[in-house]
Amino acid sequence: MPPLSSPSRREALRLLGSGLTLALGACAKPSEEIVPYVRAPEELLPGVPLRYATTLPLSGWGRGVQAIAVDGRPIKIEGNPLHPASRGATDVFAEAAILDLYDPDRSRTVTERVNGIASWEMFVRAWRAPLAKVRGQGGRGLHLLTGRVTSPTLARQIAGLRAALPEAVWHVHEPVDEASAARGANLAFGRPLRALPHLDRAEAILCVGADPLGPGPDQIRFAAAFAERRRDPARFGRLYVAEAAPTLTGIKADHRRALHPRDWAGLLVQVANGLGAGLPAPGLGAEALRFAEAAAADLKAHPGRALVLAGPALPPELHALAHWINGRLRAPVDLIAPPDGADAPPSDLAGLCAALDAGTVEALVILDANPVLTAPADLEIGRRLERARFSVHAGLHGDETAGATHWHLPLTHALESWSDLRATDGTASLVQPLVRPLYGGRSVHEVLALLGGEEAASGHDLVRQTWRAAWRAASGEGGDFETRWRRCLHDGIVAGTAAFPAAAPEPRLPDLPAGPAAGFAVEIRPDPCLWDGRLANTAWLQECPKPVSKQVWGNALALSRGEAARRGVSAGDVVRLSAGGRAVEVTVAIESGVAEGVGALTLGYGRERAGAIGDGIGANAYPLVSAASPWLATGVEMVPAGRRAEVLRTQNDVRIEGETRKLFRQIDLAELARAEPKGIGADQPSLLAPWQGDADGHAWGMVIDTAACIGCNACVVACQSENNVPVVGPEEIARGRMMHWLRVDLYDSGTPEAPRAGFQPVPCMHCEHAPCEPVCPVAASVHDGEGLNLQVYNRCVGTRFCQANCPYKVRRFNFFGYADGQEYAHLGAEPVRAQRNPNVTVRARGVMEKCTYCVQRIATERQAAERDGRPMGAVSTACQSACPTRAIRFGDLNRADDGVAALRRDPRHYALLEELNTRPRTTYLADLRAPNPDLAEDRS
Amino acid sequence: MSARPHAQAHAWIDADRLGYGAITAAVADPIQKRGPGRAWMIAIIVALPLAVITLIAIGAVLTVGIGLSGVNTTVVWGVSIANYVWWIGIGNAGTLISSMLLLTRQRWRASINRFAEAMTLLAAAIAGLFPIIHLGRPLYAYWLAPYPNTMDLWPQWRSALVWDFWAILSYLLFSGIFWFTGLLPDLATLRDRAETQAGRMVYGALALGWRNSARHWQVFETFHKTMAALAVPLVCSVHSIVGLDFAASLMPGWQESLFPPYFVVGAMYSGFAMVVVLAIIIRWGLDLRAMITPAHFDAMAKVMLFASIVMTFSYATEWFMAWYGGEHADRTVVGYFFTGDYRWLYAALLACNCLVPQALWFRSVRGNLWLLAAIAILINVGMWLERILIVWNTLSHGYAISLWRTYHVSLYDLVILFGPLGLFGLGFLVLARLLPIVSMHEVRQVSHAEGAT
Repeated sequence: MPPLSSPSRREALRLLGSGLTLALGACAKPSEEIVPYVRAPEELLPGVPLRYATTLPLSGWGRGVQAIAVDGRPIKIEGNPLHPASRGATDVFAEAAILDLYDPDRSRTVTERVNGIASWEMFVRAWRAPLAKVRGQGGRGLHLLTGRVTSPTLARQIAGLRAALPEAVWHVHEPVDEASAARGANLAFGRPLRALPHLDRAEAILCVGADPLGPGPDQIRFAAAFAERRRDPARFGRLYVAEAAPTLTGIKADHRRALHPRDWAGLLVQVANGLGAGLPAPGLGAEALRFAEAAAADLKAHPGRALVLAGPALPPELHALAHWINGRLRAPVDLIAPPDGADAPPSDLAGLCAALDAGTVEALVILDANPVLTAPADLEIGRRLERARFSVHAGLHGDETAGATHWHLPLTHALESWSDLRATDGTASLVQPLVRPLYGGRSVHEVLALLGGEEAASGHDLVRQTWRAAWRAASGEGGDFETRWRRCLHDGIVAGTAAFPAAAPEPRLPDLPAGPAAGFAVEIRPDPCLWDGRLANTAWLQECPKPVSKQVWGNALALSRGEAARRGVSAGDVVRLSAGGRAVEVTVAIESGVAEGVGALTLGYGRERAGAIGDGIGANAYPLVSAASPWLATGVEMVPAGRRAEVLRTQNDVRIEGETRKLFRQIDLAELARAEPKGIGADQPSLLAPWQGDADGHAWGMVIDTAACIGCNACVVACQSENNVPVVGPEEIARGRMMHWLRVDLYDSGTPEAPRAGFQPVPCMHCEHAPCEPVCPVAASVHDGEGLNLQVYNRCVGTRFCQANCPYKVRRFNFFGYADGQEYAHLGAEPVRAQRNPNVTVRARGVMEKCTYCVQRIATERQAAERDGRPMGAVSTACQSACPTRAIRFGDLNRADDGVAALRRDPRHYALLEELNTRPRTTYLADLRAPNPDLAEDRS
Repeated sequence: MSARPHAQAHAWIDADRLGYGAITAAVADPIQKRGPGRAWMIAIIVALPLAVITLIAIGAVLTVGIGLSGVNTTVVWGVSIANYVWWIGIGNAGTLISSMLLLTRQRWRASINRFAEAMTLLAAAIAGLFPIIHLGRPLYAYWLAPYPNTMDLWPQWRSALVWDFWAILSYLLFSGIFWFTGLLPDLATLRDRAETQAGRMVYGALALGWRNSARHWQVFETFHKTMAALAVPLVCSVHSIVGLDFAASLMPGWQESLFPPYFVVGAMYSGFAMVVVLAIIIRWGLDLRAMITPAHFDAMAKVMLFASIVMTFSYATEWFMAWYGGEHADRTVVGYFFTGDYRWLYAALLACNCLVPQALWFRSVRGNLWLLAAIAILINVGMWLERILIVWNTLSHGYAISLWRTYHVSLYDLVILFGPLGLFGLGFLVLARLLPIVSMHEVRQVSHAEGAT
């Protein structure tokens, strides 16, 4: 027992002295040896980027990508042209995966709920007792909860586990699932089949609550097919969309109808009746009826080339009805066995809840899922988890579920681990690590092996075992495994694994259910930026403007102008939505094209344990999600909460009389033959000398096809990733500041009730007579001999005259050191810096920056061409290579064989503000629509 | 000075104080014989904190970044630029009064030209701060100067900002010299009247050996008139170039050939208004009723009235040309003046600059110093609004409609808007205690003309 009196003066000084000595000693750097490469590893050249084909998951589905690494440091994601879910392009989620890898908030160590930081060894010791117990019971009491499993290796491991412990139960919970579609297929065909629509072969398309061009694992595939077909005016076709609130598909539609979900059934029935279904006539409004009849007539006129798509919020019966219609239309849809299907179907979350209630859960393993956040709220999983005797969560982040379980194990990121995944069409591809795990995590395969009692399993071996067995089964002993393995790693796909279309019976006509209950309904959607919320801590995605609302750093309840007026709320009011005894407080945003009596809200916000970026941003929509109706909350009560909040947007004005038409050229297909290409205004007189190139003879230019642009933002995030564009944070956005070099403007020439909108990506125009250049007092804004308008960062003093004089307002100013010591939240942390592209300067405070046409890529190609003694080949900018629809084309205007020069002669060609005589190098192709003449006066 | 006194009833000096000795005593005694007095102390106490927070704000913007201001991606210029134009406008009037009135033999200028020149100097110096602290990297402001360097880089001469750099620099140098050389005979007077050794030493050194000889006077007069003749084009050039900062662009609402003359008149307008305010304060504070008479105020009020009419005409020209020119963007911006986000500020601008000064048609208003002071202050408010709205309207409502947005005034903006008034006041108060605030030798000439002995 130490004395209770305080230490004496001498003692205190002694302690102080020894403490100081120890502290100083501890400051010394640990002795390390740095040894240069004596024999450099092959292919690893300092500063030369290397590409590795790998696969990234989204809701469990694999999308093939090529990850670029410099000096062993992954810095950028690009598409994999060989992979069917990428086709060389990316989406926002794939692009942002690189920042997710470096997220400083990723969990770094095993933790135990009571004692905090622990270790893998401690977990293994703690796991022994529950493992022994469930083993003794043949697995009874062991419950495994995963997300969607498409990985053949993981499926093999789970199957092995279930074989060894037959009483163990496997539950699957995927927040953004396709349960309704799967059940619909079951109703129509009698077995679970997955529909793979071919938008490249469908000319008349009707989407009912469906958003094929919107975010999701199939976005790239659908958008690419859709845009590719539309490039041919003869196969342009017509897209009809009926939906509750605008989606990307709705914006691209030739005819769009804002329709309350309760009328969706009527619309499909009307179309089905047109094909002889003979169902009782629905009570549709006159306008909706006209729309339905026009769509039905168009569909009927294109047998074999017509398609109906039903959205996730539709009940299974309507999915079955859509299958029936598609069957009648001989629609270009392949039906395949679900690639994520297992021999013995897994249980679901409700089953887990029942087991938890029964108190029979000895050990619960949650693998890479966050049910506490994402489970339907009526299951109250967070409370029920308490009833598991032993629970462990493995995940990338110490998220909500990690906080509710006994143990949390850090997982490795997809860019750090060996694995394999299947795409939505069944194509398998390998996941290979680009970097050693940054934070001491283990992959799902290793964790699952560990839980099965196999401690030292390596992910690499597990994946190889899977494929060795698979290939041996397929081709016998003959195949050379190593060669084939290397081929697959190199290509990024396992050839020949795409699912074959299954022979399906004629779809049955289902019995139709009663429509959704009356009253105010809220359609819940995955967020176009944060998806289901797992990406909430990725700053690029938080600051990525939502395609239609342009909102950043938060979500809002989209209401139509009429609905808001009727309910006495205005934009910026916080309202309380309650359904089923749970409530959500969310800010109201007034948006065009939202149906009356319905609101739209996206998932992924309102996170409590996402990290420094995602915590407390926006409103959590999951409490409105119920197990019975996950995507449509009906009978929602809405009352003002009595306060206001700001909806942060990067674009406030989309519809300005007289301006929109000038900036955003829209042509009807019927008038295309009469359209004339518009120049860049080079025929106007000018006091300035015409642009003269240098001896190289290059003239870089870009043409952006606004008809192909679906507004997906892949280019925006790709540009941010490639060019070290910093994130500014919500406070700065509220002050009207932003840094994206490339913005996607939304222009609407319609009305609030019936928008007629389109997207226009706006990078720097690289004007030949650039207004920014003569006004710079220090010549920081200059032109080069290849037509690039360059910004010399270290010469810039920050007068901002260039941006004041830029009619396109494409320049971005570092009001603070956004990348230079004054970063938002934790974005200045050491791991985040590792993401930066070494070929692009990180800009200092007080400096103007802007799109460079990816000058570093041009320089790389020039150097390669000089080294090899050949003419320069094609250069692809980051935005161009990300674009799923190839809407952005970049090239050399002086080369006849380069497509860009030809695009300038396209009848849809025009330049922004060409009357100002700036002679922009970035020009546009007009938006093209094919409205149905029968619906001519109805622009909705 | 053999010219006959003006044939009208104006009395530029009170009859009972008419005398060389009386004039000299009235100006020099407050500095040399009397203490600062209570009013001066109170004024210092008011001005000092303002000056200190200005310096703190400048320190903050240099260390934290220009993001402290309310500028944003679209409205990249803001209060700093408006302040700059406003202060340089104030700075214009002093030299204009001194030189233009000297050249046109407006003898009444004698009583007010000295403090108008001091006002010029202080205002131009304060104005010069703003372009520097509004830079992203103020550290490198000197890159606007052409200096030989190893990188062989020179300023980009097509930029109006480079012209502006020279305009401000030459104007500052010129007004300093003009003001100081004009002081020489008065510094000699102070030297001769000084009662302390230190006073004699300091004023003696500053007087540069002025001995009041006829030869001195002859050289002085020639020099002074030459400088005045140089000053007039310089005054016009400095504010024309400020106007070109905007006009040499392609933004709607800026790209107007009207801007240079309109800016010069605007500068004269706000400058005269400021002189009126200062004259009223000085007249009361230093008890100079003898030398700053109602006749002076009457004359200055007429100048303000004239400038107000010219400004109104300029605004009308702007609107007319936008309509007549037919350019869609120009018309949109003019429409935005009246209906946009800043419409109430624009209405206030028109009221302050066009409507209120019409009261000066009435002699009774011109004779009432309270009313005159109120109108002069309103004119200065209106002129500041004019400058900020030139920046805000055009930038908030340019060609790119997707980036239309408004300015968010920050705390820093408010500090650098009001704080420099303290800096100015402090400088003025210190000068008033050290140097004659009214030109004694010139007033003595006027008094000679009016019959003094």
